[in-house]
Amino acid sequence: MTHIVSVQQVFKNYTLGTFVVPALRGVSLDVEEGEFLAIAGPSGSGKTTLLNLIGCVDTPTKGLVRIAGNATETMSERQLTRLRLHTIGFIFQSFNLVPVLSVFQNIELPLLLQRSATTKERRARVEALLDRVGIREYASHRPSELSGGQRQRVAIARALVTRPKLVLADEPTANLDSVTGTNILDLMKELNRTEKTTFIFSTHDARVWSYASSVVRLADGQIVDRVTAEEAVRAGGVPGQPSPRAT
Amino acid sequence: MRGYLDTLKVIVVIAFRNLFASRLKTLIVGGIILFGSMLVVVGTALVDSVDASMSRSIIGSVTGHIQVYNAKSADELAVMGNFQMEGADLEQIDDFKTMREALLKVPNVKTVVPMGLSGAMVPAGNSVDVVLEKLRDLVRRQQAGEDVKAAIPSQKDHVRQIVAVLATDMANVGKVLNDKAVAPEERAAIARATAPDFWDEFDQDPLGTLEFLENRIAPLASDADMLFLRYVGTDPAAFAKSFDRMKIVDGTTIPPGRRGFLFSKWMYEGQVKLKTAHRLDVIHDAILKRDKAIATDPDLQRLVKQNATEVKEIMLQLDSQQTDAFRAKLQKELASQESDVSKLLAEFFRVDDGNIIRRYKFFYDELAPSLTLYRVRVGDTLTIKAFTKSGYVQSRNLRVYGTFTFEGLEDSHLAGNLNLMDMVSFRELYGFATPERDREIQAIKAAAGLKEIDRDHAEAELFGAQPSEPESPAAVATVDDADAVLRGLAGKHRRERREDQAYDPAQLEQGVVLNAAVIVRDPRRIPQTMRDIEAAGTRAGLTLKAIDWQKASGLVGQFVTMIRYVLYISVLIIFAVALVVINNALVMTTLERIAEIGTLRAVGAQRRFLLGMLLVEALAVGGLFGGIGSALGAGIVAVLRIVGIPAVNDIFYFFFSGPRLHPGLSVANLAIALAIVLVVSGASSIYPGLIAMRVSPRQAMQSDE
Repeated sequence: MTHIVSVQQVFKNYTLGTFVVPALRGVSLDVEEGEFLAIAGPSGSGKTTLLNLIGCVDTPTKGLVRIAGNATETMSERQLTRLRLHTIGFIFQSFNLVPVLSVFQNIELPLLLQRSATTKERRARVEALLDRVGIREYASHRPSELSGGQRQRVAIARALVTRPKLVLADEPTANLDSVTGTNILDLMKELNRTEKTTFIFSTHDARVWSYASSVVRLADGQIVDRVTAEEAVRAGGVPGQPSPRAT
Repeated sequence: MRGYLDTLKVIVVIAFRNLFASRLKTLIVGGIILFGSMLVVVGTALVDSVDASMSRSIIGSVTGHIQVYNAKSADELAVMGNFQMEGADLEQIDDFKTMREALLKVPNVKTVVPMGLSGAMVPAGNSVDVVLEKLRDLVRRQQAGEDVKAAIPSQKDHVRQIVAVLATDMANVGKVLNDKAVAPEERAAIARATAPDFWDEFDQDPLGTLEFLENRIAPLASDADMLFLRYVGTDPAAFAKSFDRMKIVDGTTIPPGRRGFLFSKWMYEGQVKLKTAHRLDVIHDAILKRDKAIATDPDLQRLVKQNATEVKEIMLQLDSQQTDAFRAKLQKELASQESDVSKLLAEFFRVDDGNIIRRYKFFYDELAPSLTLYRVRVGDTLTIKAFTKSGYVQSRNLRVYGTFTFEGLEDSHLAGNLNLMDMVSFRELYGFATPERDREIQAIKAAAGLKEIDRDHAEAELFGAQPSEPESPAAVATVDDADAVLRGLAGKHRRERREDQAYDPAQLEQGVVLNAAVIVRDPRRIPQTMRDIEAAGTRAGLTLKAIDWQKASGLVGQFVTMIRYVLYISVLIIFAVALVVINNALVMTTLERIAEIGTLRAVGAQRRFLLGMLLVEALAVGGLFGGIGSALGAGIVAVLRIVGIPAVNDIFYFFFSGPRLHPGLSVANLAIALAIVLVVSGASSIYPGLIAMRVSPRQAMQSDE
């Protein structure tokens, strides 16, 4: 199998005044294409930092990050931006839609940044995704006119519109109620299955694990283990977390 | 290409929606830009229009497109004067012909007009002198055997009338101030002239009595002011041909080959005309041509008051018959029983908006025909006394051939304060040698038996071993000094002979000039032509300096430049404020949208996309409100073009090249406004753009953590 993501002995330190705070301490992780991988851990465990490094929005203090065969440490800022645009889709905890654009325009935005598709192609692709995420009738609405679940569907559609090899989702259900969260996870899982897109998402919601093909458990900036969803549930949660309830 | 356009479309959509999202901020920023762009359009249109009008005034009245003078001059040429009391100290250009020929070789030079600028005091005589001169003339004619018996009593009567007016005047001064305000000798003179036996004495010794009147009584009439005349010496024919706005109002131009003087009509009316009549003209014109009213205009009220209190200059002109006639006419016109003519005149001149038109007509129909309206009339001889460059006084009697004005600038003192004189007389008054004068001096030297002594051998010649013949004092002096002495000796004789004397027109070409006006074929090429002129001068062995009309006209010409600077500084301040305000607004907007910008970066927006987004946002505000402001400005200019901006005084009359300025709008005015707006808007997005470019895509992830 090909590794879409390969993280080797990555360290990441943040400097706060005179203090150096280690966020990741020697993390190594390989993710294969088509995986639906959850990164689990309590707050401050380094989930988001790891996602940032995989998403090329941050650079490691030390170590190697390889995305779709690209050694990110050798790439310029401009090249990293192009890599994100063409290879990675992002789903944010707070949806992060552009408030002044319509749903259609928000989804279309990455395609416009790519400047490769024709207007007709863009329209077709956006409309197909609107159908897939079930918000066709809201195409002309502004994000402020949608519910949280609908917004996250827009965010998912935006993440998938460029047909990326990898989608990163940072706590995608954190701001959603349980029913909506479940629907969003169903949608993501379906897209993973049908589009063969690799999904990596961070979460500390145990319900989410059952959707994952494997769960990487983080604590204090280090990977504790990498287990299947069932093993993770059986192990009684991640370090420092209460035992997950059966979903 | 299509992809770029679509991206731009998104940028524009984001930019515009952001603008609508913060309407108040957009309106404040937009309001400043709107005002600024409107000011630029209106301001530049007005300044350009004034510039064009003023250039027409200045080029068409005296400077021409380019003025040329000797580069070795101590001062810069200022044809229309500067803050200095004296004229500019210019070195002479020895041979106008050489210069003219050199300049005409420059392709863009059409004509070259010789010039020289100077000024002189001219004693114009007072009204008492005029009357006494008439009486003296009658007496002389009587003594020569002519039968003038009938005319003398009337003239005597006029003098008695004048003395009575002066006596009343003196009594009034004594009342208002005190007796010490009047000098005892003046009081004694009036007492003698009003004594009953004075006129008996006149019959016995008319010339002696006249001398008393001329020396002791005439100076008491205070209307004996000097005329200060600024004049340009030139070739009158070439001047009239080159400055086609010039037109003769009274009389004729100075005939070719004749010495003569032309008054500017403005100067003639303002300085030479009876002051009361001139003030009445000013009031009348202000009401008819400038829509002013005596009731509301303090200047007109002042003129009315002056006219009502200064009737003496009219009274001094009236003999007893005329006084009676004036009394009768004024009593009827004013429906008054007052017998004192001075009081009637004061009442008559106390005009208001209701009666000014009627009284103006009455004055010129009924009163003016009995008055001498102009102290110097066309055809009279004017004695001009001027200081030469080396400091001695020269005088010339010049015939006044007429008056002239520049079309469209009739009421402008800036265009009207220069009179015209033939170049030959100018050279003489300025102290330049002329061939004719050289011949005259040579003749006098020969007649006096003078011989020139070389400066180096003067001592040996004068005091050496072989003493020469006794020398006259003049010969002992240097040749230069001798010339001056001889000029003095020959003065009166020459003055009398030279009046109206013709000169060889070739002298105009061959002599000295101070400067020259150049009219060009293509005014757009003035800077290059100036360089060509200086180069042509160098080739001809002349050190010439060429300056454009704006510089040549002195402070007047630089007025527009000054106004332009004021406008630019105002615009600079407004747009500096706009820049700061737009910048701050965009910085605030950028900071409010850090998460959004981070998201855009995360999903693949390059930094230039963000910069472009903010740039479009700023340009959209600038373009939209700048466009509206420019359109409003264009509308204002269009209205002003139809209505016209009135010239409130004669300075504006000159700047507007007429009574109203009808400003025009050019594409450049709009282009400048929009360019400034867009540059300022663009510049104001740089700093927020830098902030946006520094936003890390990580910000998108951290937004809610």
